[in-house]
Formats: sequence, structure tokens, C-alpha cells
Amino acid sequence: MTRRRLCLLLVSLALCLAGLSAHAGRRVVIVSSDNTAAYMEATQTLWTELARGGVAPEDILLLSVPQWAADPDPSWQASVYVALGSQAAIALAGGHGSVPVLAALLPRSSFERALHNHALKASSSFTAIYLDHALQRQLALIRLALPQAKTLGVLWGPDSMLKAPALRAQAASAGFSLNEAGLDGKPNLFPDLQQVLNGSDVFFALADPQVFNSNTIQNILLTTFRAQVPMVAFSPAYVRAGALMSLHTTPEQVGRQAAALVQAALRGKPLPAQPQEANDFEVSVNTHVAKALNLTLDGKVLRLDLRQMERLP
Amino acid sequence: MRRLDIRARMLLAALLPVAMVSLLLAGVFLLARFDDIQESYQQRIRSVARQLALASEYGLFSANQTQLQTVVRGALRDSEVRWVAVMDARGQTLAVAGHGVDAHELVYGTKEDQVFDAQRRLDTLSQPVFATGIKLDDLYEQASSRSDGLPVQLGQVVVKFSRQALDARKQSMLLLGAFISLFGVVFGVMLAAGLSRGVIRPILRVTHLIERIGRGDFSAATDVQAKPGWGGEPLQDLQENLRKMAERLGHVQEELERQVNTATQALREKKEEAEQATQAKSRFLAAASHDLRQPTHALGMFVTRLAQLPHDDQTRQLIGNLEDSVRAMKNLLDGLLDISRLEAQAVQVKLAPFALSGLFAQLGQDLAQTAHDKGLRLRIRDCPIWVMSDATLLYRILLNLVGNALRYTDRGGVLVACRSVNSGTQVQIQVWDSGIGIEPEHQHNVFKEFFQVGNAARDRNKGLGLGLSIVQRTAELLNHPLALLSRPGVGTRFTLTLAEVPPAEPPPDSMNPERAKGDNLEGAEVLVIEDDALVRSALVGLLGGWGIRVREAQGLADAQDLIQAGVKPDIIVSDYRLQDGDNGIAVVQQLRRQLQHPVPACLMSGDTDVTLMTEARAAGLTLLHKPVRPAKLRSLLRHLLAGQPAEDDLR
Repeated sequence: MTRRRLCLLLVSLALCLAGLSAHAGRRVVIVSSDNTAAYMEATQTLWTELARGGVAPEDILLLSVPQWAADPDPSWQASVYVALGSQAAIALAGGHGSVPVLAALLPRSSFERALHNHALKASSSFTAIYLDHALQRQLALIRLALPQAKTLGVLWGPDSMLKAPALRAQAASAGFSLNEAGLDGKPNLFPDLQQVLNGSDVFFALADPQVFNSNTIQNILLTTFRAQVPMVAFSPAYVRAGALMSLHTTPEQVGRQAAALVQAALRGKPLPAQPQEANDFEVSVNTHVAKALNLTLDGKVLRLDLRQMERLP
Repeated sequence: MRRLDIRARMLLAALLPVAMVSLLLAGVFLLARFDDIQESYQQRIRSVARQLALASEYGLFSANQTQLQTVVRGALRDSEVRWVAVMDARGQTLAVAGHGVDAHELVYGTKEDQVFDAQRRLDTLSQPVFATGIKLDDLYEQASSRSDGLPVQLGQVVVKFSRQALDARKQSMLLLGAFISLFGVVFGVMLAAGLSRGVIRPILRVTHLIERIGRGDFSAATDVQAKPGWGGEPLQDLQENLRKMAERLGHVQEELERQVNTATQALREKKEEAEQATQAKSRFLAAASHDLRQPTHALGMFVTRLAQLPHDDQTRQLIGNLEDSVRAMKNLLDGLLDISRLEAQAVQVKLAPFALSGLFAQLGQDLAQTAHDKGLRLRIRDCPIWVMSDATLLYRILLNLVGNALRYTDRGGVLVACRSVNSGTQVQIQVWDSGIGIEPEHQHNVFKEFFQVGNAARDRNKGLGLGLSIVQRTAELLNHPLALLSRPGVGTRFTLTLAEVPPAEPPPDSMNPERAKGDNLEGAEVLVIEDDALVRSALVGLLGGWGIRVREAQGLADAQDLIQAGVKPDIIVSDYRLQDGDNGIAVVQQLRRQLQHPVPACLMSGDTDVTLMTEARAAGLTLLHKPVRPAKLRSLLRHLLAGQPAEDDLR
């Protein structure tokens, strides 16, 4: 891991040096919110893909949000910005000039908040690749993995509540009934959780930091486990913590998708006006939990089945 | 510091380090142990609080009071836990267990806290309960501006622990420590006592040995030898040397004792020899004097009787010479008698005040004839002074001194004078003569018995040399100092010092034994008991010459026969030593019984035995020593007839 980080750092350094002498108009500037493993992985994949696509390494510039904020002047000669993470997206939303911006590695709610903060609308000059997946895909996964499930338990938070109408419609069409709670925004989520779990076949977690965070997740998982209700989450970390499975996109997949869009933009094709959903995903399964719940699931099989259903390559 | 004996010192020396080390170790280990216990107690209660917080986490998350109650009740099972409470994030108490604590005191806090109530020995621990954070490498979470990422406090657990068990443990540990220390000290004492005994015992034994040797008990050395178990003792050499020393000392002492015994034995033998010699001398003297007295006695009486008869002038001169010779012989015998009585300490001193004048008059009367015969001038100055002395003994001194002076003076005279000295408290009587004097080298010897200056030929007319010896002994007896001053060829002066007293009534006229009174012996009847025929016939002749009717008896039987025949004597004169072992005292008493009347009686004896004198005095009889002077006998008879008691000068 350390070696990998060192390697990444060297790469970034090289990119920085290269950027100084690059000619204008052909540069890709990556602004990263953080340097954690997920961001590094995404950055690496993006850089690798771009390089493979013919972009000279000196034309790829890697900046942190503070670096970019210190000098937001377009002296960077950027032809396209890639904003990794919510912070970078919000920062670039504030002033990217005429240079198109592709935000990646952020949930839909964050992107929408960034747009909302700067009174923008998604366009080809400021678009995104969402981290979260379409409700349809997730419901399909639940159907695939747990064919007997009929009722979905959902706990809404302030962020996730925006998806409620869409979920209600999709669930109905997918043959699920919903057991909802948490709409009133009470601070104590246990009674709501208790209520949701009562009479639900599956607990469907939708990303919301107020509801699902590192402080609450253990007790929530404990409660679901006690209630013998499998939880379907949105991140592999939840699966590691005790959720049954999750549908998610890896940073590598994000990086690859972003690289494709950036290369297209470099060739002169504008960025898609509508924010994109991830075109690839992974299904993680906690086999211990599955065994405890008397289930036999395989993430790879489920992924393939799901891609087949969506007619993805 | 008080002086300690060796045992106490050794014990102290051995014990002090043991006790100190024991106490120090106990103290150090106890303190360390206390720290450990305290530390582990703190860790335990902290971990109990944390476990409770963990256990309460889900209960607080789920607000499950039943579950929380179970948790707090479970915590109470720990004996040190007294009270447990769980509060939720709003500070409301969800579960309580235990008693004795007021829930209102509780304060909701966000930090670990510990308070100790020393009075109730309670530790109060507050432990906040946080939700267990799981690191979610989550892109979603970061996207939210509303999530601060800090752990969320679900509530608080408050636990009260009692330190009583801890205190009890400390106390028991303290007791154990004290017990171990005590045991260590006691063990140390026993060990020290045991070891020190091995050293002290020989020392004490040696001390005891030296004490015994010091007391002279040398057998202690053999005791040392007799104990074979002493081998290998620390002081064996010392004891062995002591033993040898004691042995040598013992031998030296034995040798000394043997020599002393030998010397003592030799001395004793010498002493016995000397005593035997003295006794032989005394016996010889007594026998000789007794045997001499009888014939002298008789001779005196015969001569007196002879003088009473009518004679022609030539015969009368012869008889006069005979009387002189007899008197000289009697004087010699009297001197011997006086010496023997003084030697026997049979003379009793009767001190009384009297005038010297009477004594001097008697002296002149007695010695005037002697002086006149030698053609000497005897001057006795009259003296009005009274003295405190024994008149008879003092007269004997003066008689001897003056007689002696007359004897050794050929021309001139003898002077007797007295004078008051020392402002009238003392009187000096001086006897002066113009005689041959005494050489200075002889002046010490003149007081010895049988010493005579210038009489190497032992002319018995000059006496036996007893006079000055009698004088000196009598003066010592009376405590009258006697001084001698003499120049050869010029003369001699004797000075006698005695106590002077103021004059009283006229002196009793006792110093006049031969004073002529009315001679009333005519017709008196006297019974004479005498076994010696010669003496008896002399006595009978003498008494008959005085006109006395004499009855004579050989012994008791004769006397009893006479009394049986109707004789009633006025006086009994008896010899002391009679035939058939009778003695005069018993005979007189028997005759008095027979006569049923205490007839006046006197004894005559040639013995100078002291016991005889005492016996006679006890029986109330006057004892006359042979040879008896006829004048003295006559005077006594007169007194007895007159019914007067015997006089002192007749002793």
C-alpha cells in the first residue's frame, strides 16, 4: 500500500512539473478533494487511461482543492477540469470560467447541492458522473438476490428524502411494497428503525450522512441483525461492517468512465449535458451474514446477472 | 545508658539488625503492595466502568431500559460496586441499581471523571457512552456538510465503588505483614538467644569459676576437668589456663597451710612446755611456802611464848635476836603471800575517803623501832590532807617503801611527806632517803620480783626483793602513779600521786591493828582444831600464855567429842587443811550446827591458794595465813569476842 502511495506521489509530482511547460488548451486538470485511497485509485486510473488514450503525461495536472483555491486563475491553461469528490465539485462550481468541468466520485445529492449553491444547472460545461446508482438497478438487485422479498424497509434522512417519490414509484412497479419511516427528522432514530424493521423483508439503506454514518452504523446493523432483516447498502464498507450486500461503483470504474468522457471532450466532443450514472458496478456480499440468514449469494454472479438484465457489455 | 549485662548486650547486638531489617522489609513490601493493590483497584474500577459503558451502548441507542436495568444489576454483582446509574444523552436516568446514594447529585458530563468521597470511602466514576465508531471509507459521508465526524455521545454511566474491600485487604495485609515481622523478630530472638548462649555460657562459667577461685574454692578447677563435654567451646583455652592456675594456687595454699600447721604445732608444744614449767614453779612455790609456814608459824608462837617467861638478861637478849629472826622470816613469807595474791588478782580494792594523818601515825609507830635500831632518823611529817584510796593497800605500799628505805640506808634518815598539787585535786606522798641510791641502769629493774641491788650474796636479812614489786603492783591496782628519782650515793625519792578529796568526819580508826585495848581475853574458851601436833602445841601454849582456856582437837571427830562432853567454846580456831581430807570451813559449819549457835570462828592456813580465800570469804570466815603473827591473832580474837566483824587488814 505504501509503495503504491509513493508511486502515486511521484506520478503527481511528475504531472505537476510537466504541467508547467505544457502548451495551452490541451491540458487536463484534476482537482481532488482528498488523497485517501479511493481518490488516489480514481486519479491513478484516470491518469493511466488518459495516457493510454494519447494524452501526454505533461498535459495532465493534479491539484488539491486548496492548491486550486489559492490560484483559481485560468493560467493553468486547462481545456477540461475533472473534480473528484464533493469539495472539489463545490469549489469548481464557484469559478471554472469557460472550461468544462466533469465532477466525479460524488453522490448525486452532493452534486445537486453544489449546483444549488451556485445557482447552476447541469450542462455540458458542468456535469457529473454520479456515485450512486439508479433505484431501478438496486431494486433489480434485491429482486435477484432475494426473490421472496416483498416489503422494503426504508429509513429516510434529510438528504435521502429527495428520492422518496422516485422510490415509491419504482418500488411499486418492481412489485415491492414500502415500509417507510424517519420523515419527520427526529433525532432518535431507533424507534423509526424499529418501526421500519417490523414487517420488512429487506432493509434498503439509501445514503444519508444523518442516518448512516460511522457512529450509527454499528447499532443499526445490530438492530437489523437482531430483527433478522437483511440490509442492502450502498457501500462496500457497510458490507464489511455487517450489511448483507451492496451495489456500488469502485473508484477505478469511476476513473475509467471519467477518462473516457475527458478524452471525448479533448477530441472536441462536448461533455454530456445530463449527469451520468455509473456505467459499471460491483456487488459485494458479506458471506458470513448471508450464511447467518441462510442465504447463498455470490456477488460476481449477481453482477453479471444484473449487467445482463441491463444489457451492458 | 543503663549498664546491661553481657547477655542483654549480645542479644541486642544480634537482634537490632534483625528487627530493623525485618521491619524495613515489611514496610517497603507493604507499601509497594499497597500501591499495587491501589493501582489494580483503580484499573479495575475504570475497566468496570468502561465495560459498563460498552454494555450500555446498545441499550442507550435503543433506549431499552429493561436491557439497561439488566446491565446495571449485573454490575452490582461485583462486590465493590455499590451503585450504578445509566443516563441518556439528555441527562435523564434510564436505569439505577444499588442503594444509599441520592440520584440528584449526578451531573451529566462528557468526560471520564472520578471523585473520591473519603468519608464514605466511595469512588464515583462517570463514564460517557459513545457509539462505537466504525471507519467507513465512505465517499457518501464526506459529502454531507451536516456530519461533523465526531463520535456521538449516547449517554453516561455513573458507578460508585466502595473501597471497604480494598481497605479490608490492606488491613489484612498489614496484619499479615505485622505478623511476619513479628515472626521474624521472634525467630531472630530465638536464633540470637540460641547462638549467644553458646558464647555467653562459657563466659558465665569462667566468671563463676573465677568467683569460686576468688573465694578460695580451688576445687572448681577439678570440676572443669571433670566435664568432658566442654571440648570445642570458644573459651576452652581460657578455661584450661584458669584450671591450671587454680591448681597451682591450690598447691601453693596447701603447702603454706602445711608449713603454718607445722609452725603452729611447734609453738603450741613450746607454749605447753612453758606452761608446764610455770605450773611446776607455782606448785613448787605453793608447796614450799606451805611447808615453810607450818614450822615458822609454830616457831613464832614458841618464841612469843618463850618471851613471856621470866629470863635473865643474857637469855632475854638471845630471845630478842630470835624474835628478830622470826619476824624477818615472817616478813619474807608475807611478801611471798602478797605477791601470790596480787598475781592471782585476789586483792579487792575498796576506795573510800580518809585522812592521811592516821595512816602516817601508824607508819611511825610500826617503823620507829627499826629506825632506832639502825641509828637512823625517821621523820614523818603530819599531813591534814584527805585522799581517795584503799587505806589498807596504801598502808602496805608505804610500809614497804619506808621499810625498803630504812633497809638500804646506813646513815642519815628517812623522810615521809605529802603535799597538795594540781590546785588541790591531787596529793603527792614522797618517801626520801639518804641511802645508797640506785644506778640508772637498775632503776627499771628494781620493781622486778626478787631483784636486789647490791645483794648478790642474797643476804636474806635484806628480804627477798619483793617489796618494790609489791609496791608497784599495788599502786597499779589502785591507779596511783609511782615515780622514782635516785642518785647513787646520795639517796632515793619515791613519789606516789593520788586523788585528793575534801576533809570529812574523823576517819574510822581502823588502821590500828595492834592498838592496845582493854585485854579481855582472860577466861575466854577457845577450841583449837589443828592436825599438826607441833603447831597445835605452839598455838595452845601461846593462847594459854594470854590466859585463854584452850580446848584442843586433832580433827572434826575430836571436836565433836569435846562438844558432846559439854564444851561450849567462845571461839573456834581451825586449821583449813585437816586430816582425813576434812577442811576447816566444813568442820566449822558442822560444829556450829552441833552447837546450834554461830560460834565466832577463824581459819588458819599455810596455803596461798586463791580459791581457798574466796571460799573462806563466801563462808564468812576470816582466813589467817601461816605464819600468823601472834599480835595479829590476838587482835582478831579480841574482835571476834567483841562480836565485831573481821577487819580488812586481816585478810
